[in-house]
Amino acid sequence: MKKIVLTPRGFSSIPIVAEVISPDVFAGKSLNEIRNLPIHYGNETVPMKEYIHAQGKVAEKSGEQLIVIDGDARHIKQIGTKMSAGRIVVQGFAGMHLGTQMSGGDITVTGNVLDWAGAEMKGGLIRVLGDAGNLLGAAYRGSSEGMTGGCIVVTGSAGSEVGSFMRRGMIVVLGNTGDFTGVHMNGGEIFIFGKPGKRAGAQAMGNGGFIACLNGADELLPTYRYETTYVPTFMRIYMKQLYNKLGITNAPQYIDVPMKRYRGDLAVGGTAEILVL
Amino acid sequence: MSFKHNGVEIENTFAEGFSMWGSRVIITASTQRWADIAAINMTGFATSVIACDCEAGIESRILPDDSPDGRPGTAVMVYGFSRGKLSESMLSRMGQCVLTCPSTAVYNGLPEESADEMMDIGKSIRFFGDGYQVKMRLGDGWQQRQRFWRIPVMQGEFLVEEKIGAKKAVAGGNFLIMGDTEENTLRAAEEAVDAIHQVPGVVTPFPGGLCRSGSKVGSAYKFLRASTNTPYCPSIKNSFKDSKVPKDVNSVIEVVINGFDETSVMKAMGVGVDAATKAGGVKWITAVNFEGKLGKFKMSLKESLKGV
Repeated sequence: MKKIVLTPRGFSSIPIVAEVISPDVFAGKSLNEIRNLPIHYGNETVPMKEYIHAQGKVAEKSGEQLIVIDGDARHIKQIGTKMSAGRIVVQGFAGMHLGTQMSGGDITVTGNVLDWAGAEMKGGLIRVLGDAGNLLGAAYRGSSEGMTGGCIVVTGSAGSEVGSFMRRGMIVVLGNTGDFTGVHMNGGEIFIFGKPGKRAGAQAMGNGGFIACLNGADELLPTYRYETTYVPTFMRIYMKQLYNKLGITNAPQYIDVPMKRYRGDLAVGGTAEILVL
Repeated sequence: MSFKHNGVEIENTFAEGFSMWGSRVIITASTQRWADIAAINMTGFATSVIACDCEAGIESRILPDDSPDGRPGTAVMVYGFSRGKLSESMLSRMGQCVLTCPSTAVYNGLPEESADEMMDIGKSIRFFGDGYQVKMRLGDGWQQRQRFWRIPVMQGEFLVEEKIGAKKAVAGGNFLIMGDTEENTLRAAEEAVDAIHQVPGVVTPFPGGLCRSGSKVGSAYKFLRASTNTPYCPSIKNSFKDSKVPKDVNSVIEVVINGFDETSVMKAMGVGVDAATKAGGVKWITAVNFEGKLGKFKMSLKESLKGV
């Protein structure tokens, strides 16, 4: 892969909107063209080079482009928006709307990521080695579909409304999640290795969607009905994938363990599942 | 015309194979015992399409590390005369013999990239869940897309992959082991089948992989369309005028092989013949063909032994 290193020229309290930071946009351009790509600084449109220094080699195809953001990027929004291939590594924190509506490629953030990461994601992989903000993999307000594919892995914890309106894909949080995890979920899988907040799965419809609470759950909605305690064979497939594809080393310990199966949300006639260890 | 291999006369002839549709599934269970039980039941009464709905056999055991869900498994291959017949047989056998068997799950054993078509087996079995079945999706947008169905059953849940691969395959690979005694012939045949089971992508559908009766098309009776293979029955070798049983032969056993492709079937024939000829007591080996009137695959015994 050919690597371009982007270095933010210091932190700014005024947000930068830089949806141009994407292998799809960079590929095939000259370094000079990349440096002059338009970004939004507050209400101004300015060339990227004014706030972000770019250096490195440009690939012909987006799938061969690696973009490394070296430094604090918490004020930079929409990194990797709509990307379809290639790789972005943020060495530090990343701002809001990271990887929204992306359909392929992968993004790794070594620090924390703010709200709306992976919102309405369609494909690809986002790894956050720190914590994630609210609305991880969620639908934007007014939309009835959140994630429709792809995978988000958060090593730390995540905020509220993780996977809201989720339809497909997978979200894995190794820590805890906030309130309303999987709200309005209608498909997809959410694995929580810590504990979910309140009202997990509220208004979830089903369509094969489930939330697996691998460290228990303090409180579930009364509109989720307990069905049984059993050892689901299908969990083996997921745990194998978490271990082999995502490197989650403790995943195998959740194979062959009895889980409580709850079904709901009965308030909306849903058939979603919450599986609690 | 014949040649010698390991000191045994091999007739320089060919086995005549014909086209069938084949598929492969991996049955896993909580223990190897239950995976084997399901596989044995699923492949029962499936020796020959002369009177069975399909031909089927156990291909191999799958170690937990190699199985889709990390449990011990057994790979089963099923062959039908058409894609439709194969699909019907798979559906009924999986429904009656695997769905019912404790702790089992079923996965596609013929990946889409190797298959000619994908059959909606799991997608059809799902209706057994009577509305409570759950669709399981895997890999959307970031890994290979897979679909399964989770069907509630009294023991817990039956997990089955939505689509099972099928491809045009080769049936009718065979060779006849002709020995001096029944005991030696059977032992040689067992050695042959054990060797064949090391070849991936093939099965031997008859009991224990062996057909001791053989058969020929037609009979002396109008109502019977197949009868004993009279030219190869040692007990009438001096009464039947066209007997093909050599003087020093007193027992004949046929090994029948189906596989996904001609190369695999040929390889299985070769290793089988090689093993049989090492066992002792084998006098002659030949293969059954119909002078090219039955099928398009002519699998030469001599060619099969190349590379063994």
